[in-house]
Amino acid sequence: MGARGQRPPIGLIMRTVPSNASLHDATVVLDDRVILRTVNVIVGPGLTVVRGPNGSGKTTLLRALAGLVPLARGDRRVAGDILYIGHRPMLLRGLTARENLEFFVRFRGGDTRGIDGALRGWGIGEEMDRPVERLSAGERRRAALARVETEPVGVLLLDEPFADLDDAGASRLRQTIARVRDDGRSVVVATHAHPELDDIAGAQIALDDGVARAA
Amino acid sequence: MIERIVLVARRELRAERRQPDGVVAAVTFIAVLVLLESLVVGPQIARDADVAPALFWIALAFASILATMRSFDRELEDDALEALVALPGGRDALFGGKVLALTIILGLVALVGGILSLVLLDLAVALPGQLVVVIAFGVAALPPVVILDVILALRLRARAALVPILALPVLTPHLLAASRGSAAALTGDATGAWAWAALLAAIALVYLVLGLSVAPAALD
Repeated sequence: MGARGQRPPIGLIMRTVPSNASLHDATVVLDDRVILRTVNVIVGPGLTVVRGPNGSGKTTLLRALAGLVPLARGDRRVAGDILYIGHRPMLLRGLTARENLEFFVRFRGGDTRGIDGALRGWGIGEEMDRPVERLSAGERRRAALARVETEPVGVLLLDEPFADLDDAGASRLRQTIARVRDDGRSVVVATHAHPELDDIAGAQIALDDGVARAA
Repeated sequence: MIERIVLVARRELRAERRQPDGVVAAVTFIAVLVLLESLVVGPQIARDADVAPALFWIALAFASILATMRSFDRELEDDALEALVALPGGRDALFGGKVLALTIILGLVALVGGILSLVLLDLAVALPGQLVVVIAFGVAALPPVVILDVILALRLRARAALVPILALPVLTPHLLAASRGSAAALTGDATGAWAWAALLAAIALVYLVLGLSVAPAALD
């Protein structure tokens, strides 16, 4: 893995590289509408940024990599576990932020001791024991992103992760993404903003009307 | 796998304890329905050993649909269900965990509804032990059927209307067995009560195996 500032060897579309997750000739059809058209994506270690206008298929691409949408054609290959955080926080209402994270960590057979520290690091102190429906949208987003630290899986898929975050939260997220990249893990970020990510990304995928190309 | 199922069930029960919408709605529903049904058919008929169990089990079947729908509505808020499904083994654990948790919740609802039925209708129970066994297996057989139906209808906008339509025909053998078994326990027919309880256990097992096999694929 390259040092900070250097571009690490990350997979590009249609290029042979060490792959942590990939889609091959993947087509996704939802409600009789083709969302992804014969997409080939190889995600290797490092940061991959997925860009495209609204409705171009960014979310569906990440969900396809996560195995959350069925492929009408093509196949998906994944080495190891995936953590997918969508554009909603994906935390169960009725549980506290801490209880939600404990559930995820225990489900993966991990150690729950780092949860309090991770939540505090994301600015969720006393709020960690409040049911998530009583947290603000930004706090719920922060609690969800703390999963990146409590579930150290090989592939992270983050869909519009900067949504609802204030400047401090966005800064923390950029640092976290850079650290994950430097750890040699794969992180895929779908966003239509935040051009500063391009400087640390090893690969970019541009999506337009369900068609992917290397940017 | 068992450990993950227990984790999902504990998560469900914890959320239900904090937001007891499902339990409260189901208990209120069963109490009102038992009372209304007995008023509609008249107190004498409602106390009949063949009628009273049928009223109870119909009310409990609707209450189970209500509690299950609430459980999945909570999962769909903020896409919590997707977080669970995206976990390794999440699809497989979801069905089992929900069945375990909703069996416990429905057990509580059945306890309250059963006591209300016995008190409101002033029923005499000849074989209380057998009645408990019939109710236990009857309760255990409800969640696998209803949860499987809810999962199959999960992505449909009209699922609130479709789930009862899908579930009630499938539940008919269950309602028949549970009503007849309860009636047998009320009237002192031990052989009948055991036979119907065994049928309920078989229904629970069949739908549990079916749900564990089908639910992961249906969640796609």
